[in-house]
Amino acid sequence: MLNRGQFATLFPFHFVLDGNMRVVDCGSVLLRICPELIVGSNIADHFTLFRLGDAPAKLLSREWVLQQQATLFIFKSRSSELILRLQLVILDDPERFLFLGSPWVRNATELKSLQLVLRDFALHDSTGDLLQLVESTNTSLRDATQLATRLEVRNAELKQLIDSANAPILIIDSAGKVADWNKTTERLTGFRINEVIGKQFIDTFVVTESQDDVRRLLLDTFAGRSGGNMEFLMHTRDQRKLLAIFSASPKLSIDGSVAGTILVGQDITELGEYRTQLEKRVADRTEQLALANEELSRVMRSKDDFVSAMSHELRTPLNAILGLSESLAEGVYGNLNEKQVKSITTIAESGHHLLSLINDLLDIAKIGAGKMELEWLATNVDDACQASLRFVAELAAKRKLTLQLEIDAEAHTITVDQRRLKQMLVNLLANAVKFTPEGGTVTLSTKADMSSDVVAFSVRDTGIGIAPEDLHRLFSPFTQLDSKLSRQYAGTGLGLTLVLKLAELHGGSVLVESELGSGSCFTIKLPWKNYSSSNSDGDARGEGSPVEASAAAGELANSPLILVADDNEINMMTVGDYLVAHGFRLSQAGNGLDAINLVREQSPDLVLMDIQMPIMDGLQAIKHLRAESKYDDVPIIALTSRAMVGDRERCLEAGANEYLSKPVNLKQLLSVIHSQLDARRSK
Amino acid sequence: MHGMINKSIEDLVTIKFGADKWIAVKKKAGVEVEAFISNESYPDQMTYGLVGAATEVLGLTVDQVLYAFGEFWVVHTASRGYGDLLKSAGRTLGEFLDYLPLFHTRVALIFPNLQPPRFECSDRHEDRITMHYYSHRPGLSMVVVGMLNGVAQIYNTPATVTQTKFKDKGADHDEFLVVWSAAVST
Repeated sequence: MLNRGQFATLFPFHFVLDGNMRVVDCGSVLLRICPELIVGSNIADHFTLFRLGDAPAKLLSREWVLQQQATLFIFKSRSSELILRLQLVILDDPERFLFLGSPWVRNATELKSLQLVLRDFALHDSTGDLLQLVESTNTSLRDATQLATRLEVRNAELKQLIDSANAPILIIDSAGKVADWNKTTERLTGFRINEVIGKQFIDTFVVTESQDDVRRLLLDTFAGRSGGNMEFLMHTRDQRKLLAIFSASPKLSIDGSVAGTILVGQDITELGEYRTQLEKRVADRTEQLALANEELSRVMRSKDDFVSAMSHELRTPLNAILGLSESLAEGVYGNLNEKQVKSITTIAESGHHLLSLINDLLDIAKIGAGKMELEWLATNVDDACQASLRFVAELAAKRKLTLQLEIDAEAHTITVDQRRLKQMLVNLLANAVKFTPEGGTVTLSTKADMSSDVVAFSVRDTGIGIAPEDLHRLFSPFTQLDSKLSRQYAGTGLGLTLVLKLAELHGGSVLVESELGSGSCFTIKLPWKNYSSSNSDGDARGEGSPVEASAAAGELANSPLILVADDNEINMMTVGDYLVAHGFRLSQAGNGLDAINLVREQSPDLVLMDIQMPIMDGLQAIKHLRAESKYDDVPIIALTSRAMVGDRERCLEAGANEYLSKPVNLKQLLSVIHSQLDARRSK
Repeated sequence: MHGMINKSIEDLVTIKFGADKWIAVKKKAGVEVEAFISNESYPDQMTYGLVGAATEVLGLTVDQVLYAFGEFWVVHTASRGYGDLLKSAGRTLGEFLDYLPLFHTRVALIFPNLQPPRFECSDRHEDRITMHYYSHRPGLSMVVVGMLNGVAQIYNTPATVTQTKFKDKGADHDEFLVVWSAAVST
């Protein structure tokens, strides 16, 4: 049983009525908020009954009250907003009615207006729970309303963004129907959104030839895959075609399933038209370029042919000039007086000068045409320098110049085209000798630069020097800085141009240091391609030490028979006279076919075969001869005036044993003939 | 975590530092929720992420952010949502604090997924009370300090809050001593 204090704590809002419905007892909290509920007062004076018809009158009736034990009593205060929800308890004393319950409050505001706090309620009373639940729910509702507002704003922003995007954006539903498209799509197609919603996208708007591709694209995205980019044409209201490139991605519904496809595109109609025009222009231009290329190739071939022909045309008479000069100087045609010797020497010198000019021009033309191929060989630096010095030694001696060589032992070997290296050095040395007054010094030195892997070849002289303002013109073709000098000093004006081009072809460079009146120093820097030990197989002595001609001819009858095949009579005479003078027997043919016949008839010991001949050229003739096994070992020396890239290889490939370029140095020819005959004999 | 917590972080950052800072905090935390619903449950990691991002964006320490958040939560967010209800929990700061355990019990009943912290009171005096805080979520004791100070503010009662036990230093729970001026509170 509860004592009075416990009862008051558990039921702070209770009251007890007597049989006349007068207040007998009242809970402390109820009395605080409803102080008029004093003992002895009639309850009907303070409260009415809610939803019980004329209950206020009946409430005075004890009999009626006794019948309402299952009724929830709602007492409404006559003087305030207080509503009590109460349950009737019939006590043992039939004259006492106990009402238990608590105020009806729907929110904290009502609680506050009744001047109640949660602590006024008994802990078992769920009013506090209810209020907290209601407040929580109200808070969530407010949040949801706020969220909805935010989403509306965001939705409007998004729609504005999509509509203002300068890109067609479309949504296709999972049935392939248009679900939405933006203002840009409306503008580009001319179809308003209300006209297109619900229409089959592919059948209605995609051109026939693109429909299958677009169908695959949509199926891909319906399957949840990003469909990538696709370019296709769409119909427009005015019968134009819209060309756009679209990227497709799945449109997801709120449960994560694919509800359609979002297409975001870019209008490339103008681009497409421009592309078509561009393709046509490219095709036209390509055709023009092909024609131009063909023309260029023809011109290049013509140029090569011209250079080759000029080379031939210039060298052929030069061959005669040099050869006959040499023969005359050697007394092949009888002894000459002093004046004649002087004249013939001048002719020979002029011829050699002309030959240098032609050779330099040819080399420059070859480099310019990209046709000069270097023969890379590990080359002994000292040998190459010595050989180069030998070329100018005679001239230097005449001019009473001192030649010096300073070799850096570190740079023992370098990988270069050794012939071209010597060509460069001889050019620089010849210049130095030429422009250094009597008694001066010309020094060739080498220096290894380990850090940059470069070998420097310097030619330093004590000559006339070069003014600073003239240095930039130094490497231009046909340049001699002072026209007086060109008369005073012989030279082609191509030498330094050639040196620079050859150095560059090696991946190197040429530097000049000079002071007017004090001398110059030209330095060629070449990539070292460093070799740790000498493996040079170069023959640096070959060019500088020509084999002396042997005048020891044997008995004529037993002397070797040389067949000279050449269509040029002057050449034939030049070479023929020289060979006869050196004890050979001679046989002559004017073309390749005659040469073959003569070989068959006379079995010569050696054949000198010109390449450019009528009826049958030299290459054909060599091939025919080599096809006959009995002439396998007959040495054939090919002679050509073309001196173009590949000539040597073509001749050797055809079966020649050796190749010489016209104009032929007769002493060199003699040397080659002897070595070929010796080689044949030693077999 | 109770959505109201995240919402409170949003309100704190937005009102005190500006909407652009809140956008920056959300981006940094990788949170894409448009708006939090107070009584929804969100992953704890999201809340920790927001706090971490706020420290970086606002240039505050973690403790500063947590304290500010706890205080702000009571003074602004909870007062807006539960204003009259909060005040109905007690007529004084002391009554309120005494009611706090029941309040959280009801939260746990109403929202069984939220796993709210549990409070206990002890050593009730006219001008002081000891609050015991039990939570499976680590590192939030500074939030409680801020909240208790916030409660003192809404009751216009100057108070000091001192943490007397630290779970992160080995205690089984966090404990706070709240002392106020009895003259004001009563």
